[in-house]
Amino acid sequence: MSNVIKLTIRQVIPVSKYSSCLFNSLNKHVREYSSKTVTNADDIFKQFTDWETLSKKKTVSKAMKAYLERARQHDEFMKKQEVEYNIGKRHLANMMGEDPETFTQKDVDRAIEYLFPSGIYDPAARPLMKPPEEVFPARKAAEFDEAGRPHHFLFYTGKPNFFKLLYDAAEHLQESYKFEDKVIRKKAVPDQNSKLELSSSMWVTKEELELILMEKVTDLEYENFKLVMERLVSLPYSYRCIEFIEKYRKPLASQKFALEIPKPKFDEEGRAYITTYECLRKKARGDVTIFSPGTGKVTINGRDITYFEDIQSREQVIFPLIFTGLANKVDVECNIEGGGPSGQAGAIRWGIAWGLRSFVERSMLESMQVAGLLTRDHRRRERKKPGQPGARKKPTWKRR
Amino acid sequence: MLIRNIRYACRRYSQAVTFRTAESSPAEHNSNHVGLFYTINKDLCKQLYGHGGLPKSYMKQSKTFAETVIMVRQPALDIIACMKASDLEKPVTKYVLYGEEGTGRSMTIAHLLHYAFEEGYLIIHVPWVSDWLRRVQRHKEMSNSLTREGMVDVPLDAAAWLLHFKTQNQHLLKSPELKISKEYVWSKREKTEAGAPLSELIELGISRVKYACDVVDAIVHEVKHLSNTGKFKTFVAVDGYNGFFNSLTRLKTPTKKKVAPEEVTLTTSILELTKGDWKNGVIVLSADMIANPDEQNKQIFPMNLLYRKGFNHLDPFVPVKVDRYSEREFITCANYYRDRLWLRGPPEIEAELKLTSAFNPYKFMEQCAPL
Repeated sequence: MSNVIKLTIRQVIPVSKYSSCLFNSLNKHVREYSSKTVTNADDIFKQFTDWETLSKKKTVSKAMKAYLERARQHDEFMKKQEVEYNIGKRHLANMMGEDPETFTQKDVDRAIEYLFPSGIYDPAARPLMKPPEEVFPARKAAEFDEAGRPHHFLFYTGKPNFFKLLYDAAEHLQESYKFEDKVIRKKAVPDQNSKLELSSSMWVTKEELELILMEKVTDLEYENFKLVMERLVSLPYSYRCIEFIEKYRKPLASQKFALEIPKPKFDEEGRAYITTYECLRKKARGDVTIFSPGTGKVTINGRDITYFEDIQSREQVIFPLIFTGLANKVDVECNIEGGGPSGQAGAIRWGIAWGLRSFVERSMLESMQVAGLLTRDHRRRERKKPGQPGARKKPTWKRR
Repeated sequence: MLIRNIRYACRRYSQAVTFRTAESSPAEHNSNHVGLFYTINKDLCKQLYGHGGLPKSYMKQSKTFAETVIMVRQPALDIIACMKASDLEKPVTKYVLYGEEGTGRSMTIAHLLHYAFEEGYLIIHVPWVSDWLRRVQRHKEMSNSLTREGMVDVPLDAAAWLLHFKTQNQHLLKSPELKISKEYVWSKREKTEAGAPLSELIELGISRVKYACDVVDAIVHEVKHLSNTGKFKTFVAVDGYNGFFNSLTRLKTPTKKKVAPEEVTLTTSILELTKGDWKNGVIVLSADMIANPDEQNKQIFPMNLLYRKGFNHLDPFVPVKVDRYSEREFITCANYYRDRLWLRGPPEIEAELKLTSAFNPYKFMEQCAPL
C-alpha cells in the first residue's frame, strides 16, 4: 500500500513545486507515513483526491479475472473430488466390513490391493485410490494482486521461485564473505568442529527441485543451482546458513542395510562363517557360505573356480573378493543350481558381496554399495513375442 | 641406444635369477630347478619340434619372444629320474601322462624329447595322433592299402611323419650300424635289399609316397628288431595316444564308409610299437581329453580316456599326473612374462590372474596374451 501512495505523492509533487516549505513538510509526512503507516487526521495528504488509486481499485485486471475464474473452478472441482473420495471410502469400508469412521488411507490401500489384484510391473500403473490432494498436483496461488501487479519482485523473470533461490544463495555467499573478513580482521581461525558434514547426503535431484519450487527447471538451470550451492558449501563459514543448505539436500539411502548386518556364526574349528541363502539372478538359485579366516579357496558345487569355463563368469565371482581386498583372507563355498553360467556367476557374486558385509569396514560397505555389489539384479529374460523373431527383434524389412 | 641397451641388460640381469636357469641340459635338471625356465638352442628346436611337437599356441608365443623356453616341472623330472634308474634290458617301460586340459602334457613330452635327444636315444615321436585320424582337410589323400586287405592308408601324413622322423634322428641315421634285417619288395621293380641302411628306407617312403604307410610299418619292425639286438636305445613319444581307441575316425573311404581307427595302417604300426614285447626302449604316451571329443562325461583318468581296450593293450604302465602350476611355478611364469614385457601393469594383476586362470598354465598364457 505504501508503495502505491509513494507513487501518488511523487506525481502530486510537481503541482506544489513552487512551495518549498510544503515540499519539506510533505517529505516529512511521507517518511512518517511509510514507516508507521498511521494516518493523521489533519494530514495534508488527505486533502488530495487520489484518483488513480481509486480508479485502479475498481478495475480488476484481465489476468486477475481469468485467474479468479480458474481458481474458483479448481476449488469446486477439488471439493467435488473430496466428496466423491469420502463417499468412495465409506463404500469401500462397508464392502470390507469395517467401520467407515475409522477407515484410514492405509486400509484403503490394502482394500484396493485385495479387491483389484494387479501384476503390472510398475507400481505407479496399478489401481489406486488416494485423496484428491495427492492425485491432483497443487497449483500456484495468485502471483499478483487485484490491480494486476505481481507480489514477487522476481515475477518477470518467469521463474520467481528459482531465481529467488539463487538470489538467496548469493546473499548467503556475500554474508559468508563478510563474516570471513571480520574473522580475519580479528585474527581468529575458523572452527574445525563446526565444519559442514555433507558426505552422508546429496543435492536434491532436478525433479525434486521442481517439486519444491513448483516450477519447471531446465538442465542448465539445475547445473547453475548446483554450482552456486557447491560454492556456498565450499566456504569455511557455510555452517552459518545450514538451514538454507539442508533444505536442498537429501540423505543417501545407504544407511538402511547397516542395521541388518548379521553377526557371523562360528563352526567347530573356530572359524567365523556366514551363509547367505536365496542368491538369485536370472534363473539361478543358490546359497553362499563365507568362511573367515581362509586362503582364498572358492568352491562351487564341489569344484573349484574351473566350474565356470569362461573368464567372464570367473571374473564375476571373484570381483567382490578383489574389490574388498579379501581375496586371500576368506574361503567361499557355494551351492548353485538352475540357469546358465552367467546367471549362476551373477548370483554367486551377489551372495559373496552380501556375505562379506559382515567382514568389512563401514567405509568399504559404502563403496560396495556405490559399486553396485549389494544391489540385486532383478532383470529376467524377456519373452518372445508372436509375429517377430525375438523379444524385440523385428523381421527383416523387405520391400515385397 | 647404448643407455637403452644397458637398461635392458640390467633388467634382464636383475630378474634372471628368479625365473631362469642357465642349465640347458635336461639330464642335469633336478628338484632345484623346478619352476624355472631353460632355453633351448634354436637349431635344436628346429630339428626336434620343426614338424610339430610344441603346441601351436606355444609356438606362436615363442616366436613372439624370439626364444623357446621350457619350464622344468616335476612330472618330467620324475620320468627322467625313472629313465635313468631303469634297466633297459627289461621289457619297455610305459609312462602315461594324464591331467586336465592345458596343464602341460605336451610340454612335458617336449622336455623329455630334449632329454632323449641329449642321451642319444632314437626318437620315434608322433606329435598329435588326431592329425592323422581326425583332421580332414579338403584334399586328404586316402587310399585302400595295397598290401593289407580292408585297411586304409593315409600316405601323405605318413610321408610327413617320415620326414619328421628323419629330421629328428638325422645324426643317428648316419651311423652305419642301422641296417635292415630283411628284404622288402614294394613292386616288380622296386625293392629294398636286406642290409641296406635305414635311411634308404626312409628316403624311399618320402619319395614314393604310395608306399609311405608300408615304410612306416617296416621301420617300426626294424626299430624294434634293432633295439632288441641292443644296437641303440629307442624313445617313443605319442601325444594324444587315446585317439587310437575312439570308436570312429573322421576318415571315410571312397565308398563313403566310415573308418574305425584300427582299420588305418598307421594305427596298427604305432600300436605294434607300444606293445610290451621288446626291450631297450622307453615309451611316453599322453591321454588327452581333446583327443576323444565324443566322450560325454569328462574325466581325466587314463582308464576313462583309453577305454578298456586301450588300457588292456598298455597294461602295465606308469600313470604320471601333470598338475596345474604350483604357487611358485605361477610366480616364475608371471616373472618371465613381465621380463618379456608380455605382462605389464601393477602387481595386483597377478593376484587377479591367479584367481581367474585357477593356476592353469594354458589359461594363464591365454589370458596374458591380450594384456
